[in-house]
Amino acid sequence: MSESLQVQLKKGVLEMCVLALLSKGDNYAYDIAARMAEAVGMGEGTIYPLMRRMQNEDLVSTYLQESASGPPRKYYKLTKAGAAALKSQRAEWDAFEIAVAKIMGDAS
Amino acid sequence: MNRASFLAELRMGLSGLPAQEKEETIADYDAHFSEGLAAGRSEAAIAAALGDPARLAKELRAEAGFRRWESERSAGSIVGAVIALLGLATLDLIFLVPFVCVMAAILIALFASAVALAFAGGAVWLLAIFPGMMVAGPTGMLGSVAALWLAGLGLIAAAIGLGALAWLLMDIVVRGLVNYARLHFRLLDSAQHNEDKE
Repeated sequence: MSESLQVQLKKGVLEMCVLALLSKGDNYAYDIAARMAEAVGMGEGTIYPLMRRMQNEDLVSTYLQESASGPPRKYYKLTKAGAAALKSQRAEWDAFEIAVAKIMGDAS
Repeated sequence: MNRASFLAELRMGLSGLPAQEKEETIADYDAHFSEGLAAGRSEAAIAAALGDPARLAKELRAEAGFRRWESERSAGSIVGAVIALLGLATLDLIFLVPFVCVMAAILIALFASAVALAFAGGAVWLLAIFPGMMVAGPTGMLGSVAALWLAGLGLIAAAIGLGALAWLLMDIVVRGLVNYARLHFRLLDSAQHNEDKE
């Protein structure tokens, strides 16, 4: 896969991936960044502009929770709008994936 | 680059943002260092994984500029949003600069026409109020005072309509630019950047 295609694909699905992560449970930015960096190779620092935008669009909300080590952590939680956005993006993604798989299957 | 120099560079890049937003953002990255250190990473490794603070600051400022435009819709915020947009170093300037220039020219022309129409309407009303000003012209040409009032009203209504149209168009253009920028320039670029360096 060419690098630019990979970058384009990642850009398109990053928000969906973060929504999916949060749908499994509330989380804090460091952990989200670490998981996303490991899984899709995004720069850890870029999670913060994304989280800020998602918070502004009411897809996620934040709250502080004490941590065993150090100061309280800022946790992100999926809002109703966030859950709805995940559902529709997942449906789009699934339809896209099936369509691509079909074409690739026909071609091979 | 260590924690202190990363945060200092980020702070410098964020100057101009509202104080609260700036402090919150810096606190986010500061907490990121705390978490990373607790996980046993070095400050230099954390800073490298975060990416270039100057680039991050540009992205954060662009995002803040878009948000201000979306919530305020003022003349000041459009300038801020467009400047922030152009500040994203990766923007495709070849596409964007002509587009912004053409749209700005169209919008300025629309707004100027609206202002001119409003002035014309006002002038016609002046004639209605002071019919004496018409002495120089052929009398009776413009009909009754009531007709003048109506003509002025028509011109001013047209001005308001044109102004509203221009405002609407401007909103659509800025939203389009924001979406374009988000789609093309959000995230990953700094990861890409890191890969290049490694």
